[in-house]
This record gives sequence, C-alpha cells and structure tokens, in this order.
Amino acid sequence: MAATKLTRSQQIQQTILYPIDWLEERSGIVGGIKYFLFRKVPGDTNWFQTLGAATLTAFIVQALTGTILAMYYKPDPNGAYSSIQHITNDLFAGWLVRGMHRWGASVFIILMFMHMGRVFLFGAYKYPRELNWIIGVLLLTMGLGEGFTGYLLPWDQTSYWATVVGININGTAPFLGPFLAQFLQGGTYINADTLSRFYAIHMLLIPGAIFALIGLHLYLVVRLGVTSPPWSKEAAGKGPITNGKVTTGRRGLSRFGTRGRR
Amino acid sequence: MQPHDQHPHVPGPSLWPVGFAVGVVVLLIGLIVSWYVAGLGAVIALAFAFLWVRDLTTGTALVDAPDVEAEHAAAAASLLPADGGEPATPPAERYPRSKFLEASTLGLGAVIGGLVTVPALGFMVAPAFLKQGQKDHDIGPLTDYPEGTFVIATWMSDKSQGEVSRRTAFVRYNGLLGSQPSYTIISNHCAHLGCPVQPNGPLDDKNTKQLADVTLIPTVSIAGFGCPCHGGQYDTEGNRTAGPPVRALDRYSFSIRNGRLFIGKPFSVSHVEGTGSAAKIHKWTLAFPGEHVNGLESWLYPIQPPH
Amino acid sequence: MASDRIVERRRVFQQYKADVKERGKPFYPYAMFHDTIMSLVVVAVIIGLAIVWKYSTPGSHTGTEAGWLGKLLDAPADPGTINFVPRPDWYFYFLFYLLRIFKWPETVILGTIGIPTICLVLLLAIPFIDLRAERRLSRRPVAIIASILVVLSMGVLTYKGATAKEALGSELVAKIPSWAASEGFTGNQKAIAGAKLFAVSGCLNCHTYNGVGGAFPGAPNLTAEGAKNKGIAFQIDHLKCPACKTPGSPMPSFQGLGQQNLTALANFLEASKGSKK
Repeated sequence: MAATKLTRSQQIQQTILYPIDWLEERSGIVGGIKYFLFRKVPGDTNWFQTLGAATLTAFIVQALTGTILAMYYKPDPNGAYSSIQHITNDLFAGWLVRGMHRWGASVFIILMFMHMGRVFLFGAYKYPRELNWIIGVLLLTMGLGEGFTGYLLPWDQTSYWATVVGININGTAPFLGPFLAQFLQGGTYINADTLSRFYAIHMLLIPGAIFALIGLHLYLVVRLGVTSPPWSKEAAGKGPITNGKVTTGRRGLSRFGTRGRR
Repeated sequence: MQPHDQHPHVPGPSLWPVGFAVGVVVLLIGLIVSWYVAGLGAVIALAFAFLWVRDLTTGTALVDAPDVEAEHAAAAASLLPADGGEPATPPAERYPRSKFLEASTLGLGAVIGGLVTVPALGFMVAPAFLKQGQKDHDIGPLTDYPEGTFVIATWMSDKSQGEVSRRTAFVRYNGLLGSQPSYTIISNHCAHLGCPVQPNGPLDDKNTKQLADVTLIPTVSIAGFGCPCHGGQYDTEGNRTAGPPVRALDRYSFSIRNGRLFIGKPFSVSHVEGTGSAAKIHKWTLAFPGEHVNGLESWLYPIQPPH
Repeated sequence: MASDRIVERRRVFQQYKADVKERGKPFYPYAMFHDTIMSLVVVAVIIGLAIVWKYSTPGSHTGTEAGWLGKLLDAPADPGTINFVPRPDWYFYFLFYLLRIFKWPETVILGTIGIPTICLVLLLAIPFIDLRAERRLSRRPVAIIASILVVLSMGVLTYKGATAKEALGSELVAKIPSWAASEGFTGNQKAIAGAKLFAVSGCLNCHTYNGVGGAFPGAPNLTAEGAKNKGIAFQIDHLKCPACKTPGSPMPSFQGLGQQNLTALANFLEASKGSKK
C-alpha cells in the first residue's frame, strides 16, 4: 500500500482515518454506527416523529445535570436543605444546573406523554412493535418514579409532605402495601435513612434501569423500523410506487383486496 | 515453537530474568534499608544477568517438546475408523453436550448470585423492619396542660436524627378519671394519606412555651381538626366527620413520671364513643394512613409490619 | 381466520421493509436533522425555564418567595408542622385532585391504587386489545374517543388541581384588610374579628373566599355568602350543625369555637356581600 506514491491530501486523509480503521478492525463499532446512521427510514416521516429523540435529549440533560448536582448535594436530612441553598445561591451557575434539572424533569415527563400520544395516534404500537410499546410504558413509569423520588431531595416543606402522601399512597396497596411503604421509608416514619434511600433510588437504581430500557427501545426501533404517518399517500407497507401511484402489493389475498387500495 | 518460527532470531526461553528481577528488587530495597542488602541484591542481579546473557547467546536451555504435531496426529488418527470398526466421531462432536457441566455452571452461577444478592437485599430491606418503635418522650410538666383545651405539643422523638424526627400531637387534659388523670393525645397525621392536620380554631400562640426540644402552643378553642390536602375533617375526639379518612386520627399512649407527661407509643383508632375522660377508644395496632383497621376493607391489610 | 390475519400482517411488514429499502431516506442526515432541531428546541426550553425560574423570583432572586414558576425553594422540611398545605409536582395534580373526588372512606383505595393501576394495565394492554392493522385515525373511532377522553379528563383534573389555591393561616390573616376593602366591611369590627377566626379555623381548607381557598367539590364559594341575607341567627345555627340546616352537608360542626366566636363568624359571613373589585 505504502509503496504507491500518495498525494499530500491522501496522506492526511489516511492519517485521520487510521484510528478509525484501527477501532473498526478491533471492535466493528464503526460499521455499527454507520448502520445506525445510514439505515433507511420512510421518506414521509413527520415532525411528530422527532418527539422520541426530543425525549432522549431531555433524559440526557437530566443525566448530565443530575451527575453535576450530585457533586455538591448532600443526601442527609441535616445537610440537604442547606446544600440546595448553597447550590442555588452561592455556586457558580448552580442555579442554572439545578433549574435545568428541575425543569428538565417536567419537560422530560411532558415529552414522554407527547411521544406516547404520538405513537398511539399513529397506531405505531401495532404488530410487530407491541414489545416496544410495553418498554415505553415501563419507561414512563420509571420516569414518574424519578419524579417522585427526586421531589424529596430538596428537603423543603413541599417535597417532604408530597413524599409523605406518595409513600402512603403506596401503603394503601392491598396486602403488601404496608410493607412497601415501610421499605420506602426505611422505617415506620420518614427518618434519616429515607432521604439517602430515595437518593440512591433516584441516582442509581432507576436511571440504570432507564438506560437499559432506552437501549432496548432504540434497538427495537432500529430493528423494526420507523412507521410512516398513517395518512401518508405513499406510506411504506403499501407497495411500490408506479407512475406516481402506490400499487398495492396485496396479491392473492382477495379478502383484503378492498381495503387500503386507493 | 522455535524451529518453525518465522523469526529465526527470537531468543530462547529463559527463566533467569525472574532471578534478575528479584535481585533488582533486593537492590532497591537495600538502598532504603541497608548497604549490605543492596550489595546482596547487586550480587544476585549480576549473577542472574550473567546466566540470562549466557542463555541468550548459547540458545535453548528449556526446550519444550513440540506436542502440537502429536496432537494433530492423534486427532487425525481418531478420524480414521478404529480397529474395532467403530464409526469415527466427527469433529463437531468433540465437545458433546455435557449435562454435568451445564448444570454445574448454572448452579455455581446461582450460588455466586445468591452469595452476593441475599445479604445485600437483606441489608436493603431488613433495617426498615427491625428495631422500630419509639421511646417514651418527656413533653413537659403537667401544669402546662390546662384542663379542657388542647395544647399543640411538638417534640423531637430521636435527637440523634435531628429535625426529621419531629412529631406533633394535640394534647388535652380531661381532668381526673377516678383518681387517675386522663389525657387525650391525638396525632397530627391525617388518617387519609398522612398530611399534617390543622386545628380548626384560633391558637393562643403568644403563650407558646419552649422547653428543650419541646414546643407547646396553647389553643383558645378548637372545633375539630381539618386536613388541607384532601378535605378530611375530624371532631375534637379525632373521629372522622367528613371527607375521605378511613378511620379516626391516631393517638399516643402516655405515662406520668415525677409530675411530667411522657408521650408513649402511637396506636390507631377506628372510632371513639363518648368524649373526654369518658371516651371509649376502639384501639388497634398502628397502621399506615389510608388503611382501614376494621370493617370489610381491613381484610386488604391482614398483616402490619413491625412498627 | 386468526392465522389469515397473522399471515397478512407478516406480509404487510415484509412489504414495509421492502418499501423502506426501495424508497426510504437515510436516517442521517434527513430524519436526524429534524431530530436535532427538535432537541435544540428542547434544550433551549429547559434553559429558558431555568432562567425564568430564577430571575422571576422577587428581590435578589434567591429568596423563598414565588416567582412566575413557583418558589426556588420552600421553607425547610418540618415534620411537625400544623399550618402547611402540601402539593405535589404539577404532573401529579391529576392524582391529587382525584384523591379529593374520592371523598368517601370506602373509595380511598380506588383513588390511590385502583384507578392508577387500571390505567397502567390498560396502557400495557393496548397493543393486545387493538389487534387490527388499521392505523388511519378516521377508521379508529374508539381510539379517537379514548384519547380525547383521556386528554380531557387529565386536563381537567390537572387544571382543577393547579387552581386550588390554599393559603397558610398566617398568610390569610394578612389578607384581611384587602378582604374588608373589597367586600366593604372595613369599619365593621365584629366582621373583622370574624374574618380573623375565618382565616385561622381551617374554613379555607375547603371553601373559597375572594380567590383563595381549597375550592373543594361541594364546598360553596363564600365570597358573596352575605348577599343571600340568611341572617346572623341562621349562620350561627348552621355553624353549630350544618347538616341540620342544609340536609346532607358534609361540613363538620363548629360548635366547639364557642358562642362568642360563632357570632363573630356569622357577622363576618353576613357582611360578605361579594367582591366589589
């Protein structure tokens, strides 16, 4: 290879590509990313279909700002409130990071609901995407769980009493409710352990599960593909276009021939 | 390896570098500890360095028998029909399914999982259920509790935990019942979902008393208690009068020592008949808010965790 | 029958794969461009909310007063409080208000566990209930009706939860002069004494007065209670035993306040002829 004479730009190109080739040869990851990026999606996708990516962005904002907040926050009933005051009032841009985390949570939850509404209205949960709908619902409950556990952390009146009510709502579940409530509180009443418990759930347990579920969610999106908007005249799944019209591919199944042909 | 290697100049295998390394380590330790040790290290290092160099120059000292070919030969032989006429086992079945290996791999994995998760899960769950309960707490001299009106007592039930253990109760002295003093001590946790109930009536907060960690706020006259969350209403005995609460307000037991009132363990109350010292309290073990303690729906909560 | 459907939907999916392969666009950059724009909007909105949150807070933007988006931080948690009105975050307002609607002890479990569980199970079951391949909304009347109902009910519950404005007793006492001014009982000392009682006796945990209060279902707005001219005697009797005067009223008796206080309260109620603002 090196025997042939290379122009300067070719040499530069090769130098740049070398680490990428190195990585690809050893992991195949470049090919994977290329497959992800250059995979085909229907040509008629719609702005509503960006809500999933928007939700992911909101979650990434939450993960980043949350990690930074964790560097200054103290999950201890005697220190939590003052550490939040410190973050909000003293630290450089602390108010911004905290504000982004606090309002990012609301945006994340709104976007999850909107994304779910989009999937519902597009009928995108139907065969073969049922499993992805279920994963999405699990992600929604996890997101609400993040909202519930995170709400306690500022340790102010609002957060304390909202958590009391939330725990007692869990406590009214039949049979296991009282045990669930006591487990969440780490005792009969909210005590010093409750805050660190909620912190661990909020920081590690649920985010870990959300990351894993988002991975599965995206894997299934890539594997099963993106749906066309249901009203689209050239929706994928209706057959090839000839002379600018969709010719339906429903051959041999005359029972279904009356539907979907236009 | 050597004879067939592509690179003929590869040095022969030698174990002497190990001794050389030991010598260098002893030398370095000696630099800190003592010159004698350093000298010893230097001697060891030099001796092994000499042996190592000799190996490098003279060739092999530790030649492994090239068993690769033998293995090939064996494999080739097994492919041929054996003398007894048994059909040869094809290479695909060189590793037949081994039930034993599968079972033991999964089993050992389960053992590892159990060893790690059972104590961890126990640690996560058990402390919430063990060593629960409240110690009796001094909430001030009996003289601070006038007969017939409520005093709002706030105290810290566990000083080591700080403000998080603060509790509030509405305490009313009912006069003597026979020769024993009678107190009504009602918790401020709504029996619906645990919100803080408020007294329905004016407080006498100018006469608030502060004793150590206890705050006592007298009241003027109270018509009952109300919850600001979901509208639960209670009368002065803690009976539900309106709204969603599933039972009466919880109460605390009490004791009197040296002329001071001590607050005891909380308990749940389904309802109270009568008022004041003549009240008949239908008492149950402490339940979480929102849980029926009697009637049909109490069957939904058959076992209470240890409180 | 069912197997026909399975064969058909498999065929349609294969067709979909073929169509996308034939005339689809690459995800990058065509679809991803839109995703990126949307993500930019999301991040901008989040940062914008954070900025508004801080800089609409009155004073030095550090206090516990509420700005346009609420308080930066409330007072420290006090498990022993007797005058705090808890609220959840806005996305639980629907549940918050649902719990007020289920105001009978026997139905508590419906509001706490029953309805949320049913909703969750229904959500999980949607792909198994709706097995038809039809995706166009015009041919999915049940889906349209269901989604409109869900959005409406969630919207109404969230709105009701958001607009129930309780205030703390101490804050209410500070409002009395403005009440007196707008209702026109500034000189009426009896009514002002009654207003103080009204503020501290938990009345506004359920009722609404001059724009503050719990706005509970079933608890009337008392802003113009005096305009009904029921008379002071009626008001006193009603406070002593609401259900005797208004059969079926869930309001508890306020007899425990004492005759003098009840008279003051009744004076205040009769003087409340409605806000003149």
